[in-house]
Amino acid sequence: MKILVAVKRVVDYNVKVRCKTDGSDVDVANVKMSMNPFDEIAVEEAVRLKEAGKASEIVVASLGVKQCEETLRTALAMGADRAIHVETDTELQPLAVAKLLKALADKEQPQLVILGKQAIDDDANQTGQMLAALMNAPQGTFASKVELAGDKVNVTREIDGGLETVSLSLPAIVTTDLRLNEPRYVKLPNIMAAKKKPLDKTTPAELGVDAAPRLKTLKVAEPPVRKAGIKVASVAELVAKLKNEAKVI
Amino acid sequence: MSILVIAEHDNGSLKAATLNTVTAAQKIGGDIHVLVAGHNAAAAAQAAAQIAGVAKVLLADATHLGHQLAENVTPVVVELARGYSHVLAPATTHGKNLLPRVAALLDVAQISDVIAVESADTFVRPIYAGNVIATVQSSDAIKLMTVRTTAFDAAATGGSAAVENISAGSDAGKSSFVSQELTKSSRPELGAAKIIVSGGRALASSEQFHSVLEPLADKLGAAIGASRAAVDAGYAPNDYQVGQTGKIVAPQLYLAVGISGAIQHLAGMKDSKVIVAINKDEEAPIFQVADYGLVADLFTAVPELIAELNK
Amino acid sequence: MSYRAPVTDIRFVLNELAGLNEVGALPGYEDVNPELADAILEEAAKLAENVIAPLNKVGDQHGNKLSDGIVTTAPGFKSAYQQFSENGWVSLRTPTEFGGQGMPALIAMATEEMWCAANVAFSLCPLLTLGAFEALEHHASDELKATYLPKMASGEWTGTMNLTEPQAGSDLAQVRAKAVPVGDGTYKISGQKIFITWGEHDMVENIVHLVLARLPDAPAGVKGISLFVVPKYLVNADGSLGERNDVSCVSLEHKLGIHASPTCVMSYGDKGGAIGYLVGEAHRGLGYMFTMMNQARLGVGIEGMAIAERAYQQAVAYAKDRVQSRELGSDNPAPAAIIKHADIRRMLMTMKSQIEAQRALTYYAGAALDRAARHPDAAEKQKWQAVVNFLIPIVKGWNTEQVNEITSLGVQIHGGMGFIEETGAAQHLRDARITAIYEGTTGIQAMDLVGRKTASEQGRTARALLAEVEAVAAQLKTQGLAEIGDALDAALVHARASTDFVVGQFEAQPKAVAAGSVPFLKLMGIVLGGWQLGRAALVAKQKLADGDADSAFLEAKLITARFFAAHLLPQVSGLSAAILHGADTVLALPEEAF
Ligand SMILES: Cc1cc2nc3c(=O)[nH]c(=O)nc-3n(C[C@H](O)[C@H](O)[C@H](O)COP(=O)(O)OP(=O)(O)OC[C@H]3O[C@@H](n4cnc5c(N)ncnc54)[C@H](O)[C@@H]3O)c2cc1C
Ligand SMILES: Cc1cc2nc3c(=O)[nH]c(=O)nc-3n(C[C@H](O)[C@H](O)[C@H](O)COP(=O)(O)OP(=O)(O)OC[C@H]3O[C@@H](n4cnc5c(N)ncnc54)[C@H](O)[C@@H]3O)c2cc1C
Repeated sequence: MKILVAVKRVVDYNVKVRCKTDGSDVDVANVKMSMNPFDEIAVEEAVRLKEAGKASEIVVASLGVKQCEETLRTALAMGADRAIHVETDTELQPLAVAKLLKALADKEQPQLVILGKQAIDDDANQTGQMLAALMNAPQGTFASKVELAGDKVNVTREIDGGLETVSLSLPAIVTTDLRLNEPRYVKLPNIMAAKKKPLDKTTPAELGVDAAPRLKTLKVAEPPVRKAGIKVASVAELVAKLKNEAKVI
Repeated sequence: MSILVIAEHDNGSLKAATLNTVTAAQKIGGDIHVLVAGHNAAAAAQAAAQIAGVAKVLLADATHLGHQLAENVTPVVVELARGYSHVLAPATTHGKNLLPRVAALLDVAQISDVIAVESADTFVRPIYAGNVIATVQSSDAIKLMTVRTTAFDAAATGGSAAVENISAGSDAGKSSFVSQELTKSSRPELGAAKIIVSGGRALASSEQFHSVLEPLADKLGAAIGASRAAVDAGYAPNDYQVGQTGKIVAPQLYLAVGISGAIQHLAGMKDSKVIVAINKDEEAPIFQVADYGLVADLFTAVPELIAELNK
Repeated sequence: MSYRAPVTDIRFVLNELAGLNEVGALPGYEDVNPELADAILEEAAKLAENVIAPLNKVGDQHGNKLSDGIVTTAPGFKSAYQQFSENGWVSLRTPTEFGGQGMPALIAMATEEMWCAANVAFSLCPLLTLGAFEALEHHASDELKATYLPKMASGEWTGTMNLTEPQAGSDLAQVRAKAVPVGDGTYKISGQKIFITWGEHDMVENIVHLVLARLPDAPAGVKGISLFVVPKYLVNADGSLGERNDVSCVSLEHKLGIHASPTCVMSYGDKGGAIGYLVGEAHRGLGYMFTMMNQARLGVGIEGMAIAERAYQQAVAYAKDRVQSRELGSDNPAPAAIIKHADIRRMLMTMKSQIEAQRALTYYAGAALDRAARHPDAAEKQKWQAVVNFLIPIVKGWNTEQVNEITSLGVQIHGGMGFIEETGAAQHLRDARITAIYEGTTGIQAMDLVGRKTASEQGRTARALLAEVEAVAAQLKTQGLAEIGDALDAALVHARASTDFVVGQFEAQPKAVAAGSVPFLKLMGIVLGGWQLGRAALVAKQKLADGDADSAFLEAKLITARFFAAHLLPQVSGLSAAILHGADTVLALPEEAF
């Protein structure tokens, strides 16, 4: 069974991003970039399936600028077999990514596609679902457990208030949640080996996909700073404020 | 303009998230219809009909919609969506699971986690884990979005919209529900919790630390934290410690109970969205960072708080 | 306080100053390039930051426990070590034929910096394994190599170095441990070794001790010491573990720092003699030890620089957070973060500029080591060997002397909090203290520098390096960086005068030269550190002109180099005065007057 995993290169989760002074965009020049943490979990899950003898090949794909190659190398070092880089400098939004992945899936014919549930930069949480729709395949989103069973996959999903398990016929799409697994630290020999694994290049044009963005970002801003607090006179007032003003309970 | 709101429900009842989403729809302006897709979901549809400002409730009722699997609900929404200018769902796990699937089939972008409506085509949403707020504009014919429920008030009830049955389509046959396991107040982890109730030395004993704070934490679905003084005194285990040398947390709500607010403690929680302090000393430094401060004896204030929350 | 590996600066040094590309062009390093280095650095950073650094404090607090000869390491160490070795980090620079990764020292050193900064006590275990590995690789028989090296490269077995005895520290000629031939090719070893780092522990199944001992027929002094392998468990012919050898840890030292690293008193032969195997030829053990000494000494130099980096990171975080007193000259009457105060800035810059200078000089020496080992051209090979030889005592001595000052500044920036253990600043100060002592004290390094490395070659390498400094100074002046170039020129005058003195007087008045040897070592550290920062400034300036995107980093490089030129380089004139004219006061006071 072949697994396709999509990985995105994002600003490292330790970095606190700042907005450009003109508010046009987030300033990501020279900040540390890493593989999207949810995608690391996706790669890990695929590798575990392969190690368990349930998958035969893992193809990992990344879409975007040249440096996505580094992210792909990391995935290869973790255990993916080969990589595809769809190179483009255009800003890719989830719908475009889903279309590009659909084009790759048409070629590769994977039985399982694993993606992170969201990327920690745009926090969109859309791509897996969109890809599932375009492939007319079932989806197991926010997975905390994935079990292959014949021509089906059982996915336990983290939903509000608990867990739900669904059974999906293959091919299927899975998006990962944090508790699915803990990604491994890469073994040193595998870093070297990854350099020798195949990494193919293509472009949106070659795949016949219009990847132009649909949404326009008008401005970005940092959230307002903490305003001076107040003293409340009673427990009742406190609860009312928390409910109606702060809206946290 | 007309807006379709996808209801959050469990067939038997309507979830509050629907009410916040309707409010977001009202901010956009236009006729608001609510879709209830489920099985034996008449009760949920009735509840939706009572939301003030809702013009019509559409009920798609069939066995294969019982568990609201995205594969089966999507065709229903896609079919309907073409008649609307906007389709909104709450940004719950259900809404997030469903709406992008719809968007892809309609070939439109989706705007996730909307926290403010600027105009019919311009919306505000957080990115980078809320560290940046983006204003985005959509030029798609149909605008699809999930709505962060905490950003919008709940719509009032008292309406009486008509409930109209619509075609429920058929089972896509690609997925099936196996089981569900809903958690009962097993307390969340400190690092991941949305709400943290944290206790200080004022709790005065291990016994009181637990008997006073646990009911409050359970009520709020909160994790429990502690100051170092409370940990050092043996009232709470080590892994409860919040602060410079303990855990760094940033929940939506941090309730500091009987904690003075030493700088080392603040280092661990000052990025919380909302900070509440209960302390009997009105000069306590914790009040300088608290959004809401209550000067009171915790042993009376906390039980009162639980009672108030139970109302 | 968590640790963040300074990957950006390390990358800059590797690529722009140390010559990673040139190292990649050496035979056998065809796979080495900046991209591979990057991938390795990123992964090492993850492991260092997330797995090893969090154990630093735990290890300091728990230390090790000895009971019934068994040493139990601090919580978390065993599993972290397992992860570390399973992921292949022990063998990054060991040759591929024994299961290593065959990477150059230059890249390995960059990862070693991270391990040391994350947790120096932990890092010593793989560091010593590597040292023992290299001694065996160069000098042991094929049979011994086949038995021990693969398991050491994989980290399944760790290694130790047993040199020191109660009466033999700096002066190893006094080693007394005995080795008696059994007749079957093996030897019975007996005696006591002290201060043996990671001599006994519970992280692995076997420990390979390298032991210096004397054979019955050995001549006295340094020429009568042989080197033996003494495994904790004997190894059967099929590679499985056999009997427990007659070696045990009888005591653990209570120390100022590196609490998590067990410092063991090892007793050999309590039950008749531990079985040992001769490495190489008899009586040549000390010479063998010296072949790996170069790397080991660079390794300790890295420790000094790395702990300094850790202390610096912690000090920066505190300085940004701690609010105290209003800012001088500011309209804002409110108390400000202490990083706004000039003296805090001075301390932070003193830390930062020296760390960056040391990193550059240390990695430069690492690349020299690689070039000396692999350069296809004999003359080049020789040239680089002379450079490494010269730089080693400086890197070891200067880095480890300065880390005492730097970690002390780290404490100072914390104020009273710095003196309180909980803050963590004090641990760095305590941990750092050993680095100027073991693997040859600063005094021993300085004697090596003035004697073997300078006087005995008539100052050839010293002068060649100073000529390079001069060339950089000239370039700086044409590139609008005269401030740095002039400071280097001024320092050079003193450096040359001191070198002339060392070369000219070593024979005639060795004690006078020795009196100024540590000042000479520091002087060279500062001048060569300034040279590297000058080179960094030239690169930064060029990259800024080329419109490189990381302008903040490059601007900081320029400022750091200017600070070093203004604050550190002028110290050279004082040191030089002491070297040239200070010897008689060092020695004048009669012994009875002390
Ligand atoms: C190096 C270092 C690191 C540290 N790291 C941490 C850390 O990680 N986390 C941490 O928490 N601390 C840390 N500390 C300790 C910190 O400085 C404080 O000592 C500690 O936070 C105090 O805990 P507290 O607020 O519970 O106790 P106290 O300071 O004793 O405060 C108790 C508070 O309870 C109030 N109170 C008493 N009775 C009542 C009542 N009946 N009802 C309501 N209020 C009442 C009092 O008015 C007082 O404000 C660190 C200290 C050092 C030196
Ligand atoms: C924590 C720790 C770990 C260690 N790990 C190991 C290990 O794993 N294996 C091992 O074999 N050893 C180890 N050692 C021993 C270490 O290498 C020695 O302590 C060190 O070499 C100094 O020797 P000494 O302690 O006998 O000091 P001494 O040699 O007695 O030195 C005392 C002082 O005299 C000075 N001095 C000595 N000779 C001269 C000279 N010719 N000129 C000028 N000054 C001189 C020294 O600089 C020093 O200041 C360790 C020591 C410690 C404390």
